[in-house]
Amino acid sequence: MKKIYSLLVIALIAFNLQAQVDRSKMPEAGPLPEINLSEPQRFELKNGLKVLVVENHKLPRVSIQLIIDNPPVAEGNKAGVSSFVSSLLGNGSKSISKDDFNEELDFMGASMSFGSESASAFALSKYFTRIVELMADASINPNFTQEEFDKEKEKILTGLKADEKNVSSIASKVQSTLAYGQKHPYGEQVTEETINNITLQDVKQFYNDYFVPANAYMVIIGDVNFKEVKKLIKENFVGWTKATPPSFSLPTPKDVQYTQINFVDAPNAVQSEIAVENLVNLKKNDPDYLAALMANRILGGGGSGRLFLNLREDKAYTYGSYSSIGNDKNSVSRFRAFASVRNAVTDSAVVEILSEIDKIASTPVSEEELSAAKAAYIGNFIMALEKPSTMANYALNIETEGLDKDYYKTYLEKVNAITVADVENAAKKYFKSSNARIVVTGKGSEVLENLEKVTFKGQSVPVKYFDRYGNAVEKPKYDVAVPEGVDANKVLADYIAAIGGKAKLESITSYYIKAKAAVQGQELLLEIKKTTSNQFMQNVSMMGNSVSKQVLDGDSGFMVIQGRKMDMQEAQISAIKAESAPFPELNFLNGEATLKGIEDFDGTKAYVVKFNDTKSAAYNTKTGLKIADITTTPQGSATISYTDYKEVSGVQFPFIWKQAMGPQKFDFNVTEIKVNEGVTAEDFK
Amino acid sequence: MKRNLFLSASLFCAALTMQAQQVAFEEYDLDNGMHVILHQDNTAPIVTTSVMYHVGAKDENPEKTGFAHFFEHLLFEGTKNIERGKWMEIVSSNGGSNNANTTQDRTYYYEVFPSNKLELGLWLESERLMHPVINQIGVDTQKEVVQEEKRMRVDNSPYGKFREQIGINLFKNHPYRWQTIGSLEHLANATLEDFKDFNKIYYVPNNAVLVVAGDFEVDSTKKMIQDYFGPIPRGKEIKRNKYTEEPITSTIKASYNDPNIQIPAIFTAYRTPANTEKDAYVLDMISTYLTSGKSSKLYKSLVDDKKMALQVFAFNNSQEDYGSYIIGALPLGNTSLNDLIAEFDKEIAKLQTELISEKDYQKLQNKFENNFVNSNSGVEGIANSLARNYMLFGDTNLINTEIEIYKAITREDIKNVANKYLKPNQRVELEYLPVAKPEN
Repeated sequence: MKKIYSLLVIALIAFNLQAQVDRSKMPEAGPLPEINLSEPQRFELKNGLKVLVVENHKLPRVSIQLIIDNPPVAEGNKAGVSSFVSSLLGNGSKSISKDDFNEELDFMGASMSFGSESASAFALSKYFTRIVELMADASINPNFTQEEFDKEKEKILTGLKADEKNVSSIASKVQSTLAYGQKHPYGEQVTEETINNITLQDVKQFYNDYFVPANAYMVIIGDVNFKEVKKLIKENFVGWTKATPPSFSLPTPKDVQYTQINFVDAPNAVQSEIAVENLVNLKKNDPDYLAALMANRILGGGGSGRLFLNLREDKAYTYGSYSSIGNDKNSVSRFRAFASVRNAVTDSAVVEILSEIDKIASTPVSEEELSAAKAAYIGNFIMALEKPSTMANYALNIETEGLDKDYYKTYLEKVNAITVADVENAAKKYFKSSNARIVVTGKGSEVLENLEKVTFKGQSVPVKYFDRYGNAVEKPKYDVAVPEGVDANKVLADYIAAIGGKAKLESITSYYIKAKAAVQGQELLLEIKKTTSNQFMQNVSMMGNSVSKQVLDGDSGFMVIQGRKMDMQEAQISAIKAESAPFPELNFLNGEATLKGIEDFDGTKAYVVKFNDTKSAAYNTKTGLKIADITTTPQGSATISYTDYKEVSGVQFPFIWKQAMGPQKFDFNVTEIKVNEGVTAEDFK
Repeated sequence: MKRNLFLSASLFCAALTMQAQQVAFEEYDLDNGMHVILHQDNTAPIVTTSVMYHVGAKDENPEKTGFAHFFEHLLFEGTKNIERGKWMEIVSSNGGSNNANTTQDRTYYYEVFPSNKLELGLWLESERLMHPVINQIGVDTQKEVVQEEKRMRVDNSPYGKFREQIGINLFKNHPYRWQTIGSLEHLANATLEDFKDFNKIYYVPNNAVLVVAGDFEVDSTKKMIQDYFGPIPRGKEIKRNKYTEEPITSTIKASYNDPNIQIPAIFTAYRTPANTEKDAYVLDMISTYLTSGKSSKLYKSLVDDKKMALQVFAFNNSQEDYGSYIIGALPLGNTSLNDLIAEFDKEIAKLQTELISEKDYQKLQNKFENNFVNSNSGVEGIANSLARNYMLFGDTNLINTEIEIYKAITREDIKNVANKYLKPNQRVELEYLPVAKPEN
């Protein structure tokens, strides 16, 4: 103890001596570090392949990238053919079997992969020569076989099936399709049908057409020597026959004429995927390119963007909301503002995202926001210098995107020169809240009702319906087939009849139910007591200790949560009162309840009856029995489902209760039910 | 030439001509118990400041799970000197980036800045430790954000629950039985006091390591560290419970239905030793041997030759107290899940009865050499490795010597470890299934 004390004293003295830091102010930055941008070395082969080399000897490794900068290709009714090309490349060559090829790469601890118009490899520099040989051989003399084709086909088809219920994957594909159209390379979708249209010959044809050196760049970075690289690449890639890819004109997609919601139903979704999108015509060499990036950064770039601050930090609708703006020298691209949000707030999130887009396009951003955005770009620019690949990327961009030779040397000056007016103009030009497509992929039965009520700037936003492939469809129906003459009263009356009849139920003045559940190896005990005089007690306990308890006695009530007792508020009292009756349905035969329709509960069709804004219940359409109680709050919905009905004192009670609170699940087994006994007035004190 | 604190200059030159680079660093303790590690590399004008706290999901009360991860959110809410909601803005408006992550063993926070903003990074991290504001509005907001994170990462995500299901079955006593994201119910019920208590116990300098890596000047940086972190009072000694698990002696069979999938999956999971044990490294090699790369045994046999699987994968999760080794596959065509298990077992049985070939052994060594060279390529990654090696392995210099551990592993070790840990009766078999089609 003593020792610690004396250390503390020393620390305090030390602190006093040097108490010149003022923690209440953010520290000032030092002078900007010096920026060194060096140029890669380069050479070109006669077949058109251009090679950029960055020597960097810090680590004994090397990376090789081959990029074929062709315009995008529409694959039409053979969409997916390029995936075959990428998978079938790199399976050895005409002279090396696939197994030997893979074995040798793995033996070197190296990796090599191919795209339909690209290739890359990473290895220790001691294996550089052999890696170049293998990459050249596999690229120039590929080994396309029917066997590999068939195997790949089965994998792609299984992969499509595996993705069938993947909400975010469905959403991202359909967002592209709706924006670009089904025939544009960026909008077309790979389906079972298009995969089945593809033959091995198509794969070879695609390779022959597009895997050609006219637009090819190779970037080599690492512990290598330029002269040796030049010699090696010439030797190995001289046999790549000179050719230019066929060219086609692309369809020209258009924005929608008025802002609208495009809804895609995904019945298993627990979150809605929202994207507000429009097309943009933006290239890296456009004069307002950097201003557009700044506008996007302020709106939705990372954790300090307006979307994040509004939808996550302020409203807590989502884990994150961001925006992005594309650029493309060959085609239109997209501006998107997006979020994954819980079902209950889908409509509100749509409105918030739209409002943010509208705001940034109509009012100037603040100087602070702009200087923060600039600082972010400047910081990223400086930090990217750590990677040797940065220099190569810059050189490549200058070459392929038509940028000035000194574009990156003057980058910081260009960023600093952007004004608030530049940002406003860019936002106006590229973010279109009046021509936006709001693509919502989610669970229609929970979110559509409110989505249809969305208004923006006093106008209602129309909802159009699409399938996952972007085909217009009818509005999905969730309330189909409610038979003629069935209403809430009939459903409730049928339920009452099914469990014992009105007279029998009315003879019951109280009951006691005891149930148990296992949670992470522990036993959870649930006890419920109810009477017909507004008395209710529910106690959940674990190993004899109450975890949560709610008690209502007439007009007053309290709850105890982990030892803390709180009196109930009026709203809570009236909510619990409505449920406190042994059979609350008896009190709703007066027409207060409404029939919402028929829904599917894990394969069982049930009538859903709504009692008030928070409470509804589901009744099996065949047996009339209640299968679930549903509580809906702004935080989400909780469901208790009931099965295994058995008779006790002439009434059918469910003996298995499954409670789902969001993703949490508890399975309670009822162990005891007492009717008209076992409950005393003391239980509610 | 940069100053080298670990090796004499001549040795350093020799090391350069050899393969592996050496990561030079210096480490010391502040009086309040905070450990400090400095790694200087002036080649690019950037600097990382990071703090790792020795608190993860395994330190949580079983009835209050999710706290460690929740703090990773809460401690961005603001401090005495940083207004609520301004943290991210300060970082990005100074051209930096930041993030944090939580595991079952530790929580890690870091910023990367252009090197002229080093002091800012130190200020931010010292404020987080010294002056966090833990109030109702922050707690309420982050409770909802964490719910959305779980919906996105787990509940809406295909195959999102396999770790949770394996954890429950692999561990009965140890807190590794729950996942880092924890229980939303526990979080919903937690009070402000609960969070303040947790902060007081674990967010103390004697439970933390600070790393500064990148372009900086050593002496002035040490002074700044003392200025910003020195005045933070030491916390109480942390009492940690020791949990032991009985060995698994008969196969635990489990199944789970995921509404987000169409193709089932099979997982087999084995409980493995603490990450500091040599056997944990041997299991890394076994994992690589079986499933990493196109010529690995299981990939080659199941995906390539027999076309029984769409994918085969393995994870060797080394952790502080125990680890888990998980092998999984998605069937292709009419293959049953049992067929896949039988194929896993065939390859493992070979490991248990025969030595792997000399060539395969050399291949493994080459792969680990390659991983080692690549693992230390950026200062952000180096900072993380230094903190992890100090905190969870008790040896900061592991960043330079880890490769020696792999080199020392023999073919016999591989056979022995396969026999010791990978028997069918020592594992969990999890059938991960789609939700049954509703009857019409």
